[in-house]
Amino acid sequence: MFRLSLKMTLARKGRLLLTSLAIILGTSFLSGTTIFSDTINSTFDRLFTDVFRDVDAYVRSTDSVDTGFGEQRAPAAVSALETILKVKGVSSAVGDMQSYARVIDKDGKPLGEDQGPPTFGGIASASSAGLWSVEDGRFPVGPKEMMIDGETAKKGKFEIGDTVRVNALSGTREFSLVGIASYGDVSSPGGATFALFDQPTASEFLLKPGFVDAILIQGDGTLSDEELTKAIDAALPTDAKLETLTGAEITEETTSQIKTVLGFFTTFLTAFSYIALGIGCFVIYNVFSITAAQRQRESALLRAIGASRRQITVSLLVEALIVGVLGSVIGFVAGIGLSRALSALLNAIGLEIPTKGLTINTNAIVQTVLIGTVITILSAILPALRSGRVPPLAAMRDTALDTVIRLTRRVAIGLVLIVAGSVALVASINGADVAILGLGVLGVFAGVLVIGPALSKPIAVLLGKPVVALRGVTGAMSQQNTARNPKRTARTAAPVLIGVALVTAFTALAASVKNEIRESIGNSFRGDYALSVNSRGFGGIPISTTDQIGQLNEVAQATGVGFIAAKVGNESPFVLVFNPKTADGLYDLAMVEGTQKGLSKDEILVESDKALDKNLTVGSSVQVTLVDGRSMQLTVAGTYTDAYGNYAVSRELFEGSATPLFDSFIYIKAAEGVSDESAQTAISAISADLGIGKLESRDEYIDTQAAQVDQFLALIYGLLFLSVIIAIVGIIITLLLSVFERRHEIGLLRAVGMTRSQVRTMVRWESVITSLFGAATGVVLGILTGIVIVMSLNDSGFSAFTLPITNTIIILVGAFVIGVIAAVFPAWRATRTEIISAIASA
Amino acid sequence: MNQTSQNINPANIAARADSASKIYGKGESEVRALDNVSVSFERGKFSAIMGPSGSGKSTLMHCIAGLDALTSGSVFIGDTDLSKLSDKEITKLRREKVGFVFQSFNLIPTLDAYENITLPLSLGKSKGDKAWIQQVIDTISLNDRLDHRPSELSGGQQQRVAVARALATRPEIIFADEPTGNLDSKSGSDILKFMRRAVTDLKQTIVMVTHDAVSASYADRIVFLSDGHVAGEMTDPTPEKVLDYLKHLGE
Repeated sequence: MFRLSLKMTLARKGRLLLTSLAIILGTSFLSGTTIFSDTINSTFDRLFTDVFRDVDAYVRSTDSVDTGFGEQRAPAAVSALETILKVKGVSSAVGDMQSYARVIDKDGKPLGEDQGPPTFGGIASASSAGLWSVEDGRFPVGPKEMMIDGETAKKGKFEIGDTVRVNALSGTREFSLVGIASYGDVSSPGGATFALFDQPTASEFLLKPGFVDAILIQGDGTLSDEELTKAIDAALPTDAKLETLTGAEITEETTSQIKTVLGFFTTFLTAFSYIALGIGCFVIYNVFSITAAQRQRESALLRAIGASRRQITVSLLVEALIVGVLGSVIGFVAGIGLSRALSALLNAIGLEIPTKGLTINTNAIVQTVLIGTVITILSAILPALRSGRVPPLAAMRDTALDTVIRLTRRVAIGLVLIVAGSVALVASINGADVAILGLGVLGVFAGVLVIGPALSKPIAVLLGKPVVALRGVTGAMSQQNTARNPKRTARTAAPVLIGVALVTAFTALAASVKNEIRESIGNSFRGDYALSVNSRGFGGIPISTTDQIGQLNEVAQATGVGFIAAKVGNESPFVLVFNPKTADGLYDLAMVEGTQKGLSKDEILVESDKALDKNLTVGSSVQVTLVDGRSMQLTVAGTYTDAYGNYAVSRELFEGSATPLFDSFIYIKAAEGVSDESAQTAISAISADLGIGKLESRDEYIDTQAAQVDQFLALIYGLLFLSVIIAIVGIIITLLLSVFERRHEIGLLRAVGMTRSQVRTMVRWESVITSLFGAATGVVLGILTGIVIVMSLNDSGFSAFTLPITNTIIILVGAFVIGVIAAVFPAWRATRTEIISAIASA
Repeated sequence: MNQTSQNINPANIAARADSASKIYGKGESEVRALDNVSVSFERGKFSAIMGPSGSGKSTLMHCIAGLDALTSGSVFIGDTDLSKLSDKEITKLRREKVGFVFQSFNLIPTLDAYENITLPLSLGKSKGDKAWIQQVIDTISLNDRLDHRPSELSGGQQQRVAVARALATRPEIIFADEPTGNLDSKSGSDILKFMRRAVTDLKQTIVMVTHDAVSASYADRIVFLSDGHVAGEMTDPTPEKVLDYLKHLGE
């Protein structure tokens, strides 16, 4: 029987190809993502192993705050260097730094994207323990010299001898470029920009005189790394709050940190590749269901001549196995190409991965082929069982055209799922876990898919009405063809439904977030202009600049807001830092209780929902620890509603601290009677001098902030694109099989006078109605999901759901276009139907 | 008995084939389904094409009806030379001037009986002649089943709907390919009587392909085909005469 089914499978190459196509697409994304993350991981493993090759030990502060977006650590006093160099076994030691610094290009624009990789300032030294080496020129010496990495030099078109402006904590300065540096064997890791100085200059300009981020140590080879580390640790004073790591430990830590950051991205990609695979499942299931129905006669004949039910079922599963393995292998190969495309995409947005070829692990191929094959077989189980149930007598009968479905049972099961899902949703709206929200959404989706066949007929008939009016009998046949097999129509529309529901939900969510941002900024921002950089938590505008703007004659008032990582209670959030002395009437936190005015350095403000959650009221005490290890008890002075972040403190708190403090945005109110132009000119002069910051009017600023959501949405759309392709392929396959199944009918229609163009029209509208059915249900489901998510995330700052009307219309038009595109090939095939053979074989 | 096609008044010819040849395959495997066949069918008459399997009777019908193309020679519907027409023009001609009744699978399963009857008209976006359509429906006596789908009709009823569809456009000529082949004898004779009435009472032209002597005897004239040639003709046939002729045809 195995040989027989193998033969039967291979005899139908067309069907084999169609079924494989769905699997190929589904698995290619998965394999592409896997290869891509493997490549990233091995690239950084290799890079850091190379860079830290000569580092045998690493000394740094024990104080740190991990916000979940990378760890922030307190600086270490450079005086420890003296102690370390005296330790027996140490050959050389040098400070290391990775602080904020931004290179300004020759046009006065900062280099590096706002949302792209970070811009760093660091130390480059001739010491053999240093991480950077000279590619061209020499290492910088003294307060007037610097190096930059090769990639940044290329981007900024800088050459040795040029004067380069750099913005950092202490403002913007000019340096003479004396060298181009390389990091291991690459010019820049991950597309970040680096401005490099000698240690004293870096400390003073980027951080705080006498401090570095860490100390790199090279041994003289007499001690093992572990022994050396122990020796250094013993030599360091116990009250210095310093810890020593081996070279291997810091390599491992650095690598895993960057992997964590990129891990967000790959996890995201993987999630979407599983969505694509899930959608692929529907297509595979649909194809097997249709082919099983079409070979009903064949199966019945086999039964009549003595094949058992089991044998029929097994033969279809064998086919699934062949198609699954074949499709997954091709999908894996296609994934290699896809991973290249992903790399190219990352390069295009500035996140360069310094790859040396792709890393293809056996794991990736095993995983892809295994998952691909298993889901193919799983998708084929139901159709295979159904196939086995064909009575031998069916061989003598014509294939039934209208399949009867047990609607009541279907609707009942579907409703149970929807109700169960809704209960979970309501629970999550009332504050249950996010996991419950996910389960609820899943339940509702599954319920809708189960009910699908019950919905497809009435909705298809309804959607087909205008087509009938427009296209007469041809349109009526499209409408009836969509309605004649409700199960098939529902299954074909399912990928469109899921894709559209996801797109709609994300769009609705984005619209709500945008609206929220607009309202929030609109409420808190009372001034005329905003000067901002998009680097929340890492670098920004020096606070001295804010004060400088405030003193301009053209400016009545200016206040800056920054963010800083700190430990608050048992959390490590970014805390909002503002200046209560200048914020009054310009930056409004929308206080619920207490007042923001006159907030002292011993006080803290808490977001009202957070306060409720943490049981904090005015007068409560909160433990706050800064990155430098300084810990204090702050008193809650009030609660607020509108702001980025759950905690707000006065900038006074950081006076005299080594913690670098920047403003992310400055709100400005022009002085009475000053023209718009002269106010802008005066402020621009300062920001141009600084080289960074974007000056915008209030409306422009609000638009820019809201538009950031669109970038994220564009990424989601991009990732859902593959799912849309699979949905289109699903429609194409179904239509092709339907056209084949109805060839007698099409032959008859041609015989009695249907033109080829009418045949095309008939197939095209069938496709459009199917696609629109999926899209219409998807839009409804997506909007409902969006509403539920917004409501359940209510306490995360969402207040109102915004319906994205324009986008919804675009999605429906898109579904129409998808229907038209998907119909092109099947419609063409339909017009090629040979009238004579179609009629003769009837 | 020996009346030939040439005896028909040229103005009265509904369809004809001139030296029609249809060859399938090439070289060794060449099959001459039609070999230089010339035949005419008179307007207002019920003609039958008879012959054993493989005699080329279905191929002849398909070619004259514009469903298939000849290898050489020409076919005419009325005065129209089909070989000069594009696919679109032939389709339009089939829709307006030709009616079809096939052995099986005659109806579109998603359309009801009435929609099936008026299908060629709807495809051409024409309303047709309401009174005529009603007359046709009355003739096949299916008034009470017009809103039923094919799956809800018996085989005989389905063929009656097919005949009605063929008549609906009042075509130049109707081709019927073994229209009773899948029916029991009672339903079969019903259909043949309807076709007979369509010719006699409604003045239509029908050409029927059959291998059944009883069916053929309903026709006014029979053209016998054998091995792709016209083997002979017979007018005013009876089943006995036909069987007798067929017996001698092989000799």
